[in-house]
This record gives sequence, C-alpha cells and structure tokens, in this order.
Amino acid sequence: MIWTIVRKEIALTLKDKGTFFWLFALPIVFIVMFASIFSQSGGATYAIPYVDEDGSALSGQLIDMLAEVKGFEPERYEGTGAADAIREVKEGGLSYLLVIPQGYGERVSGGEAAEVKLYRDAAADEAAAPVIALLDSVTGGLQQYKLRNAMADLGLEGSAIEALMEPAVIVSEVKENAAKADPITQIVPGYTVMFVFFIMINMILGLLKDRQSGMLARLQSTPMKPLHYLCGMWVPHVLVLLIQSVVLLSFGRIAYGLHIGDPLAIAFIVIGLAVCATGIGLMLSMLVSSENMGIAVVQVITMGGAIVGGLWFPYDMLPRAVQAVGLFTPQYWAQRGMQDVMIRGAGAADIGWTLLVLFAFGLGGLFVAWLRFRKFAMKTV
Amino acid sequence: MELALKASGIKKSYGGKPALKGIDLTVRKGSCFGLLGPNGAGKSTAMKLLTGILTPDQGEIEMFGRNFRKEIDAVRSMIGYVPQDITLYDKLSGRRNLTFFGEMYGIRGSELKRRVDRALTAVGLAERAGEAVGTYSGGMKRRINLAAALLHEPKLIILDEPTVGIDPQSRHLIFEIIKDLKREGATIIYSTHYMEEVEALCDDVAIIDHGSIVSQGGLKELLEKHAVKAVYAEAEGAAEPPKLRGVTGVRKEGGGWVLECERPMEAMAELASLWARDGVSVRALELLQPSLDSVFLRLTGSKLRD
Repeated sequence: MIWTIVRKEIALTLKDKGTFFWLFALPIVFIVMFASIFSQSGGATYAIPYVDEDGSALSGQLIDMLAEVKGFEPERYEGTGAADAIREVKEGGLSYLLVIPQGYGERVSGGEAAEVKLYRDAAADEAAAPVIALLDSVTGGLQQYKLRNAMADLGLEGSAIEALMEPAVIVSEVKENAAKADPITQIVPGYTVMFVFFIMINMILGLLKDRQSGMLARLQSTPMKPLHYLCGMWVPHVLVLLIQSVVLLSFGRIAYGLHIGDPLAIAFIVIGLAVCATGIGLMLSMLVSSENMGIAVVQVITMGGAIVGGLWFPYDMLPRAVQAVGLFTPQYWAQRGMQDVMIRGAGAADIGWTLLVLFAFGLGGLFVAWLRFRKFAMKTV
Repeated sequence: MELALKASGIKKSYGGKPALKGIDLTVRKGSCFGLLGPNGAGKSTAMKLLTGILTPDQGEIEMFGRNFRKEIDAVRSMIGYVPQDITLYDKLSGRRNLTFFGEMYGIRGSELKRRVDRALTAVGLAERAGEAVGTYSGGMKRRINLAAALLHEPKLIILDEPTVGIDPQSRHLIFEIIKDLKREGATIIYSTHYMEEVEALCDDVAIIDHGSIVSQGGLKELLEKHAVKAVYAEAEGAAEPPKLRGVTGVRKEGGGWVLECERPMEAMAELASLWARDGVSVRALELLQPSLDSVFLRLTGSKLRD
C-alpha cells in the first residue's frame, strides 16, 4: 500500500512543472549567476580615486608605487578639485579618496614628514580596508627607504644596513587545501543545500490539499493505516531530493570542475540531507494551519538557515553571534560536511557529526509527524 | 431478517457542539437504505462514522455481525465509500485514478485491469479513460468518484449525496448503477436531501434532522404513517377555499388550495359535485400522492429544502 501511494505521488510530481523549476532550474540559475560573479573575484582590481594637488615628481612617484601593487589601480579624479571630490565622499558617491596636498614633494625632499589624506565613507569600511592596508604598506616601505638613507649618511656599509633592517619576526604564509578551495566549493554545495529545503513547500501543499479536498478522509475509509500514508507521502520527496542533489553537484562538477572528494561520503551527506529536509517537511505539514502559514515558515527556515548556516557567505566571515546560531541549523552541518569532503579530504568516517545532526533532524521530524497525524486528519473532516 | 448494519446510540460532537445526538440505524442486508435530511442535519457525519473515518463519542456499530471497533480492518474491506466531495486526482487520468483506488483495496495485476476496464464501461467513460480527470465535466467526475468505490466489490456501499450538482444524464446513469448493485445483492446506504431520489431508489428510509433520527422504517410504511392525505383543487374565480366535511387543514398553493383530509376520495367526490352544481369552471382537482416532503414537513415542521 505504501508503494501504491509512492507511485501515485511520483506520477503527480512528474506532472508538476513547478517542481522542476523550483528544485532544478532555479538552483542552477543561482549557481551560474553567483559563480560568474565570484569566480572572477581573484582577478578583481581596487580602484583608488586620488587628487594630486602637489603635482610634483615625488607625488607622481607615490602614485606609481601604488600602481605597481597587483590588484590596485590609482584613478585620477576627473572633477573640478579636491573639495568636490570630498563632497562626493560625504554624499556616498565615493567610498574613499586619496588626497596628496600641495607641498608634499617639498616636504619629502626636505626630509620632513609629509601627510597624505585618505577620505573615506564610514559606511564603507570594508571597501576601504584593502586600500588602507596598501597605504600602510607603502608608507612602511618609504620609511625603510628613509632609514636606509640615514644609515648610509652615517657611514654604515650596505651589509650592515641590511643586517639592521632585517625584521625580528618573519611570517611565512602556508595555504592548506589551496588546490581545492575556491568560490565554487562555497557556491555549489551552498545552493544545493539551500534549495533542498524548498521541497518542504511541495510537501505542505500536497498534504494540505489531500486533507482539504476530502481525499485523506476517503483514504481513511480504506484499509490504509496512518503509517502507510505518511511513508507513502514521504518517500517520493526523498527520491526527488536525491535526484536534485545529484543533478546540482554533477552540474558543478561538469560546468566548473567542482572537486567532489570521497563520493561515498558525499552520498551519505546527500541521503542525510534528503531525510532531514523531508522529515522537517512532513512535520510542518502536520503542524501548520494553512498553506500561507506553511510557505512563510519554510521561507524563514530556508532563507534564515542559508544565512546563518554559511550557505550564502562563508561561515568564517559571519559575526560570532550568527555563527553560534548557525550551529543549531542542519544547513550549517550539511555545508560543513560537504566542504570537509570537497576541500579538506574528509572521508565517510570523518563526517559522523554531520550525519548525526542531519538524521536527527529528519527522524525527529518524522516522529513528530507520526504523533500529530491523527489530529491533522481530523481537521475539516 | 439479516442485518448489514446496526448502529445504536451513536453520538458525535465537534468542539462541544453535537452533530449526532444518539442515533439508531438498522439496515437490512441487500436493501437500499435512504438517509434523508436537509443540509446540516448530520448525514455526512453519520456516513463518516459508518465508514470508520470518524470514531463515535458514544455508541456501537455492528456491520455484518462484526463489531466495528474491534474488527475495523476486516470491516473496511467490506465497505465502498463514495464521499460527497469529488475526491480524485485531477492531474491523473480516469484509469490511473481507478487503478490507484483499486490498489488501495489490495487488487493487483490483470484482475485490477479487468475490473478497471469494467468500471469504466459501466460508468460510460471507457473512451475518455486516458484523459486527465481535470478535463472531465462534473457529471463525469461524479461517475468516476462512484466507480472508485466499487472496484473491490464491497458488500456495503455508502454514498454521501452522490448526485449533487450533476447533469440529468449522469444522474440517470448513477441511478442505473445503484439499481444494478441492488440486483447483485449489495447493501446500499444512500444519503441525500432530494426526496425524489429516496422515493426512486430506497426500500427503507431514516429521516434525520438536527442530529436526531425523526423516523425510520420502510418507505411505504413511512408514507402510510406520516404522509398527509390531501386533495388539490383549483377553480376559476375561487378566491376562498371550498368548505368541505372532514377537511383538517387548508393551505394555498400555486393558483389553488391543498385540502388535507383523512378521506381524500370522498372529499374529491363532494367537491366535484359541489362545483358542478355551482357551475364552477374547474382547472384542477386531483388526489395528491403522499410524499416524503410532506412527511418531513409533518415530522419536523419544516420543508426538506429549507
């Protein structure tokens, strides 16, 4: 009898064009869109608007030093002057502006400290941060140059100067997993996990429709048991999600060379994710009082979980408080599990926590659904 | 007398509001039993209790000698339920819908196919079996709705207002199916608020109103016992009702008068003689057939379609 209901649900799902759009077409659109945007972030260039009021060789040299750094491009401000440019910063038209004041070259060549000003919009701190870091680095370099000259003037030999200029601490950067980590390993699993949870809308609409139309009551007059009905309505959606995940991950692999890692581990996560989303979906179907309520709750779970779970932005970039909340979402554990496999080389034995959380959510949802079924079935009878 | 169903003291409330106030029903095996009452009387609730969709708050139901509560699984296999709502999957074809319901009753393989084909032919939809039910007319959907309850050849068929909102052709076809089922020995419980359906199909009737059974018994016995005997008289220029011996009640109806009396034949003869003597031009003078409408009116004080 379960299989009878499963086949019926599969037949209905195949006739529902909306399902294909929400579960397959739309996530692929999102993946393509965001992959296009963020996969070029490695080649992004920061523009540095500047006004050179000094116009000396030394101010030009400073601009050239900035231009030599990869990823930065000084752009002369084309307006009428520094005052206009500063007003644009205040009005939010520019995130930041470098102003080299008149007299800069004279002060530098006279051995005096020369000030340049970086005007910035306080609301665009993140945009200005790389430029500030660059300026700190450049001024640090200029200071070293000044020190070398001063030591040479004092009669020190070149080797002695180098010995004195050597830093006390050297930081060497070692990138782990550099060959595997890229925006695709955030975007593809992120949107796969996010769109999996949209199945809950299908489930809620299907079960509520069965109840409201009288179909559920009619089926209750047959030898069908509640467990038959629940399983029959649950299994097809698990199958749909398995197919969805395979399609999306395969798309990532074929289109963007996504590194899948251990396929068995990924398969376990996909199964866990399917059980999780459908278990919660079945539970919500028993609890919500209307389609609108169900859709609203699903949006909160799907979108909210996507944000705090690190699906849209890398988890490490989130504020600590948000990270703490994310730990309680299945989305976080699914994404983490996938990235552990794809980026960090984890195997099936290493994703225990991920699987535990996903199956706990799913089986918990199924259990609540089973407890609530009788009350669900009685409404509108 | 072998009984198909015996329900005793059935009570059911929804949120403190009583829908059934303790009803008793006795249905003979092989009969067609009509449950007649206006909308909101409790018919659908009674039907759902008899199919096991709802559980009574109080009372007992026995079906073919089996206790409903204790042997619910065995009992459900014997029941075919046709709900008032059309409960079909619009996106699936008529054949697919019937196959689904057949499988829900455990019918499989070639036997299922044979029964589905037969059902489609019986309801006149064999040619449109492959089309989605959503493309069917209301009457067609009602026919498939009925067919879905018959695939497992149930001993008891419960129909909850099966002809609501359908065309005369479909209604006629459904009536023919029910008569065939009767001939084949099935027991039928038929709920409706159309008295003419009960009069056309049913052997026994229970009249239900406001959650209580007002009267129950054979159709003829009910009519004999409760129906108002009356004569309808209409004459040109008759502004006042004729005054006759033995008339117990008079009411205006249409262009004439309904005269209630114990001996309608005598009243007719007397009125015919009176009008002939007075040279009255008679438009109508007829014996009114006893109807469930008048029975209902007499027993409940309201018309069936109120």
